[in-house]
Amino acid sequence: MNPDGKDNPFSDIGKLHHINRCIQCGTCSGSCPLSDRMDHAPRELFALIREGAYDEALASNTPWFCVSCYACMVRCPKEIPVTDLMYAFKEKARQQDTVPKNTDMPDMYDAFSKTVKQFGRITESFLMGRYGLRHPLAAAKNAPLAVKMALRHRLELKPQATADPSAFARLYDLTEKKGGKP
Amino acid sequence: MKICFYPGCSFASSAGYKESTDAVCRKLGIELSEIPDWNCCGATVSFGENTLRALVLSARHFVLAESMGFGQIVTGCNACYATLRKTADILAHDPDLFEQTKHVLSQFDLDLSALPKIRHLFEIISEAMPEITGDTFRDIPIAAYYGCQLTRPHQDLDRGDHPTVLETFLEKIGFGVTEHSAKTACCGASHAVVYTGDCRVLAQRILREMEGKGAKAVTTLCPLCQFNLDQNQSKDAGPSLPVTYFTQLAGLALGLSPKELGMNKLLVTAEKVLNRP
Repeated sequence: MNPDGKDNPFSDIGKLHHINRCIQCGTCSGSCPLSDRMDHAPRELFALIREGAYDEALASNTPWFCVSCYACMVRCPKEIPVTDLMYAFKEKARQQDTVPKNTDMPDMYDAFSKTVKQFGRITESFLMGRYGLRHPLAAAKNAPLAVKMALRHRLELKPQATADPSAFARLYDLTEKKGGKP
Repeated sequence: MKICFYPGCSFASSAGYKESTDAVCRKLGIELSEIPDWNCCGATVSFGENTLRALVLSARHFVLAESMGFGQIVTGCNACYATLRKTADILAHDPDLFEQTKHVLSQFDLDLSALPKIRHLFEIISEAMPEITGDTFRDIPIAAYYGCQLTRPHQDLDRGDHPTVLETFLEKIGFGVTEHSAKTACCGASHAVVYTGDCRVLAQRILREMEGKGAKAVTTLCPLCQFNLDQNQSKDAGPSLPVTYFTQLAGLALGLSPKELGMNKLLVTAEKVLNRP
C-alpha cells in the first residue's frame, strides 16, 4: 500500500505506518471482546486500508465497538498499537463526518463529552439521563438497576461539578478542531 | 505518609470503595490529599474525540499536583490510571503535543512543566499493609480480577496478560487464592451501558470461570469492573459471587467491620462468605 498517498484520508494519522507490519494473523480480532459486533474486525480493517478501500474503512463501525481493553495491543506479535489506531479512527470519522448512524456508542460518547463540558465531572445518573433523552428505551431498561442502586445509596441525583464549570466549556472551545496527531 | 489523590468520577458513589479506602488509610497512617477541583480525565472517550483535549483534561492535574508540592499522583480507578499514564507518556515523548497542551493550560493560568509519576492506589496499600499471619480468612478462595486497563500499555505494575500482583497481595493479607484464566478479560467497561446484552455475556463468562475454579468471592480494583461484575449476576440463575474491592478485603484483614468498609453497598451480598465471628 501507499499510506502516504494523497487520496488516503488516514495518512495524517501518526501511527498509521504500523499497519504495514500486519501479518494478518487475526490475533487482535480473536482477542477482542466485542469483535462479533464489528463489521470488519481489526485485522480486516487494516487489510481494507492497505488495499485502499478508504470509504468502507471510514464508515466502519469497528472503532465504535472498541472497548479500549488493549488486549489486542498486548498480544499483537508485530506490536501494532491497535487500540491507539482505533482512537485515531474515531477522531478521523468525526472530522470526516462519517460516524456510522446505526451504531449507538457515538451517542453515549457525545453524552459523556457534553457532561464533562458542562460540569467538568461525570455523574453516572446524569450521563444516563442525557443518553436516555436520545435512547428512551435503553433508559427504561436501566430503570430497575437505578432502583437497586438507590436502595444501596449509590444513586447520585445531584451532579458533581468543578469549582468553575464554565472553564471547561472554554477548554472545549480552545481545543476544538485542533486535534494533534494521535 | 501523605499522598496526592485523584479520586475520579466514580470513586465516591461506588460500592464502598471510598469508605473502605478511607478506613484502611486511617488505619495504616496514610493521608490522602485530594486534588481540589479535580476534573474528569476523559476516560476512554476523549482520546477518540480530540487528542489535544484529552491531553489537556488529564494534564491539568499534573499542574495542580505540582502546585500542591507532589511529584506523584495516586488514583484508585483503572481507567483514570491508564488515561493519566498514557497522557504522561505522550507528553514525555512528543514535544509538539507538549507545547500545544502547555499553551492551552496557560490560558487558565496553569503552567505545565513537570510530569508526575502516576501510581495506582493498590500499589500504595499493598506496600503499606502488614503481613497477616492469622487463618481467619485463609480458607476463602478469592478470584483476583484485574480488569483490562490496569496491566496494559503505559503501566509498570505487572505483565500485561498474566499478572500476579493481586494474588501475592491476597496471600500477604491472609486470604485464599483461586487461580483462573479471566484475570484480565474485559467486562465490557462503558459499552455495558449501551450493549447491555453483549456485555452481560462477557461478565458472566468471567464469573463462570471464577466460580468453576472454586472461587467464593471476587476482588477488584476499579469501580467500573466492580459495577459490571456485580450487577450482571441474578438471584435466580448463573454464578453468585460477591465482588469486593481490594480495600474491603484489606480492611477485613485489619479487623475492621464490613459496615465500616461500605460492604452493605454491594449488590451481591458478601455476608455469607466473608462475615467471621
